[in-house]
Amino acid sequence: MVLVLALGDLHVPHRAADLPAKFKSMLVPGKIQHIICTGNLCIKEVHDYLKTLCPDLHITRGEYDEETKYPETKTLTIGQFKLGLCHGHQVVPWGDLDSLAMLQRQLDVDILVTGHTHQFTAYKHEGGVVINPGSATGAYSSITYDVNPSFVLMDIDGLRVVVYVYELIDGEVKVDKIDFKKTSSNSSAH
Amino acid sequence: MHQAVVDPLLPPNLSSDSVSRRSAPEKGRFGDLRGLQWRINLGVLPSSVSATIDDLRRVTADCRRRYASLRRRLLVEAPIPKNGRNSPTLEMDNPLSQNPDSTWSRFFRNAELERLVDQDLSRLYPEHGSYFQTPGCQGMLRRILLLWCLKHPDCGYRQGMHELLAPFLYVLQVDLERLSEVRKLYEDHFTDRFDGLLCQENDLTYSFDFRKSPDMMEDEIGSHGNASKANSLDELEPEIQSIVLLSDAYGAEGELGIVLSEKFMEHDAYCMFDALMKGANGSVAMADFFSTSPVPGSHTGLPPVIEASMALYHLLSLADSSLHSHLLDLEVEPQYFYLRWLRVLFGREFSLDKLLVIWDEIFASDNSKVESSADENIDYGFRILHSPRGAFISAIAVAMLLHLRSSLLATENPTTCLQRLLNFPENVTIEKLLQKAKTLQDLALSIDISSPSLLLVGSHYQSKTTSTRAVSLPSESVSPKTPLNFIPDSYWEEKWRVAQKAEDRKQDGVENQVPTRKKGWTEKMKLRLRRTESDPPPSRVLSGQRGSKPSFRRSLLEDLRKALGAEENTEHEQHHDDILSEQDNLSEAVEVEQQESSCNSDNNSDDNCPSGNSGHEEESSIYSDSASPPNEANDHEIASEKNSAASFLSLDECNEALDTSPIDSPLPLSDPPENIPPTSVCNNNDQGNNQGNETSDTSTSVSPSPISDPSHNLPQTSGCNNDDEGSSATQPKDGKQNKFQWFWKFGRNTVEAISEKVGGGAAEATKSANIISNQSNSPPPASPAANGHCSSVSGRGDSVDQNVMGTLKNIGQSMLDHIQVIESVFQQDRGQGASSENLSKNVLVGKGQVTAMQALKELRKISNLLSEM
Repeated sequence: MVLVLALGDLHVPHRAADLPAKFKSMLVPGKIQHIICTGNLCIKEVHDYLKTLCPDLHITRGEYDEETKYPETKTLTIGQFKLGLCHGHQVVPWGDLDSLAMLQRQLDVDILVTGHTHQFTAYKHEGGVVINPGSATGAYSSITYDVNPSFVLMDIDGLRVVVYVYELIDGEVKVDKIDFKKTSSNSSAH
Repeated sequence: MHQAVVDPLLPPNLSSDSVSRRSAPEKGRFGDLRGLQWRINLGVLPSSVSATIDDLRRVTADCRRRYASLRRRLLVEAPIPKNGRNSPTLEMDNPLSQNPDSTWSRFFRNAELERLVDQDLSRLYPEHGSYFQTPGCQGMLRRILLLWCLKHPDCGYRQGMHELLAPFLYVLQVDLERLSEVRKLYEDHFTDRFDGLLCQENDLTYSFDFRKSPDMMEDEIGSHGNASKANSLDELEPEIQSIVLLSDAYGAEGELGIVLSEKFMEHDAYCMFDALMKGANGSVAMADFFSTSPVPGSHTGLPPVIEASMALYHLLSLADSSLHSHLLDLEVEPQYFYLRWLRVLFGREFSLDKLLVIWDEIFASDNSKVESSADENIDYGFRILHSPRGAFISAIAVAMLLHLRSSLLATENPTTCLQRLLNFPENVTIEKLLQKAKTLQDLALSIDISSPSLLLVGSHYQSKTTSTRAVSLPSESVSPKTPLNFIPDSYWEEKWRVAQKAEDRKQDGVENQVPTRKKGWTEKMKLRLRRTESDPPPSRVLSGQRGSKPSFRRSLLEDLRKALGAEENTEHEQHHDDILSEQDNLSEAVEVEQQESSCNSDNNSDDNCPSGNSGHEEESSIYSDSASPPNEANDHEIASEKNSAASFLSLDECNEALDTSPIDSPLPLSDPPENIPPTSVCNNNDQGNNQGNETSDTSTSVSPSPISDPSHNLPQTSGCNNDDEGSSATQPKDGKQNKFQWFWKFGRNTVEAISEKVGGGAAEATKSANIISNQSNSPPPASPAANGHCSSVSGRGDSVDQNVMGTLKNIGQSMLDHIQVIESVFQQDRGQGASSENLSKNVLVGKGQVTAMQALKELRKISNLLSEM
């Protein structure tokens, strides 16, 4: 059982001051084993904060990130799952499932996590999952102004991943859950 | 499961097992099955002899069922998310949930706990890694600890619990080994003898017998035995028979009731651990020692560990006051080392095979509270001493301290002292230690029952510890001279011991090794005990307690001074308690005296001290105890015993007169006369009874007065002055130490007992002077004695005499100074006492002062004489 926190598009300090207090109180060190961040943090302080939650931190570069050393894409293997990470501003049209599926095939991953649209989405596609955790701070995007802060926590256990979606709606944290099972035939095909 | 792994460990263990079996024939019902015996002793299984095997089996099965249900209930695997979206519990049951009741947070808590437990388990007995480090064993240990901690969230997991648990699992495993051994033996034995019968039976009734494996054989027999072949079972040894019945799969409760079962090792170990931690309704519950909050019902309001530590020191003070006062001097508080000893029940100090023997004894002692008839309020005293088991645990600790006695006394600072305490030597003879502990246990139990004033002692201890703590922290300036004292104290003691030893060696050569010289341990104990109990019998002082007595006194004085500095009330109580505790000892003194006679006869069958240097040291301490030829020593002791008994009577009276007033009326502490009269008058009586000798009379009556001295500036300053003098005095004496020994020795051997007492009195006098000057040089007490006998002991070297003269002059000078100080104090007291005290006390005060003043005059004469010389 591994807990993976996925979040991105914080845009601190340009579009948001900080993570919502409710999120901050929920995110405590010791529970999460990995953090994957899609980018646009944008400053080092946020990076440091994420490090305090969990030292195993993976970040790809968004277009506003100060830090230029972050890679454009990143893949990692957790348990039986292969995860791909990309900010998503490179994939046009932004947030388009087919384009993202192409990236998913390109990276050869089971779970692709992208950002940039600031809207939470999760698709099951071709035996994999494409997830967009949204903006953790609720920062506005170039597409929408009406953004709810949200992030995703993945509980990866064997061939099964449970995706918990945390969304702050009207000051209340709503939790949703998506179950995803990777079939063994699928994994052998890869 | 781990038989192959355990095998290499078994031979030593089994052998030690068999050794202990031989040495202790009174072992319990299942003496050779240690795990089973422990389960009975710990109260997991019924202990009554009438309990049949079936009863045992039923109880066993119940315990296992309880554990199984607990395990099912508490051990949370990773929460399995229920299917279906938007389940109402999702808000609560998600990994980041902050609700403490959610499965996730329970899971995280368990994981946290597990990590903590694992950290310790991975380091558990690495030297026995073959067994304890196996994944199976680790798994069992982890689950048991987790479950226990989850069951008792208020206690939680504390480091050390795993070391309490591990031996249980080990003995259970060893039991299983034994079982399989018996099985093998029994199989051969059985098939030879009952083959025909078996076949017959099988043919007639049991169709399944043919597919039996050799391992099943015994179960088979059990099932037969119960029914038709009781007579054949009876022919077997009862031990084997019970083993068969215990492991019979067809007895009561079936498989679950097999008392020795590999499958249920975990369950059994949990039950044992639980019983140990919770004490099974007894008074010693190990879990208490892991908690920092006081147990409800303890009168001291201290954490149980601290209370137990105080109990330890209390017992130590009765067993060996000099060691006790030495440790107090060094400010080595008992919890520094006892915490570690107690929490794992000495598991860190002894290797596993020795530990099992110790635990045998600990668990064999009853854990139920001793109900003494006297106490309506049970809450006095130390809780740990209420049950034989607790008393035994304390007794073992004291025995360990006594084992280290000489090396501890030789230490000069707390650090080395603690180092020695925390690195307990490996080569200890366990049997001796346990024997010692048993005697001490009797002592501990007898105090607890006999003395109703333990409450006071407890508070006395409490105040003592708090006061020392208070002093040691910020206000070291209160007793600036104490650090100076540490070094000379132990230095002289050591020096003296070396000299004494050398001398004894010489004497040994002359006397051709008198066999009683090497006194048995019990004898030694008695001597020590007696030393503490009889208050100041002069001959005792003479017979070699120079080193310890002053230090004891001095420590009292220092404590008082500290207490005064810290808190006035504590001083008051403390002083009174000291008297009281002495009074308490009267009963023991008598008792010990009785034991003494039997002890003497036991002397020849004594056991020699363990080999190694520690043994040597201990032996040297024996010499110091029995420095004089045995016969004479015994005579003295008996005589002094009578004296002390008499003196105690008078002490009693005096105390009774005062008993109520100091406690009930919280008089301001600045009324010291209240404290003076009891001691001084008592001592006067005491000395009067003993000798009727004026000089000694004066000396003892002086000694208490500085203790209750209200104006502490005076003695302090005078102490400062005298420090210089004293040091100048000591230096020439340094080299002459040996010769003083000779004087002393010679005097004792030749001069009559009465004159000895005079010398003793004189020794007391100088000692009291010494106390004032706050330095515990042993030579000063020696010198008057030597002086007293100088005339009779002719033919000493002139140079020696020169030196002696010089030192005597110095001493005389310092004595004069002290007398002046004391007199001035008395003058002040008289003024105060008259104004503030009521009449009856005034009379006492007056009496005390009059005698004290007379005594002072006498003393002044003596010191004048001395200085003139």
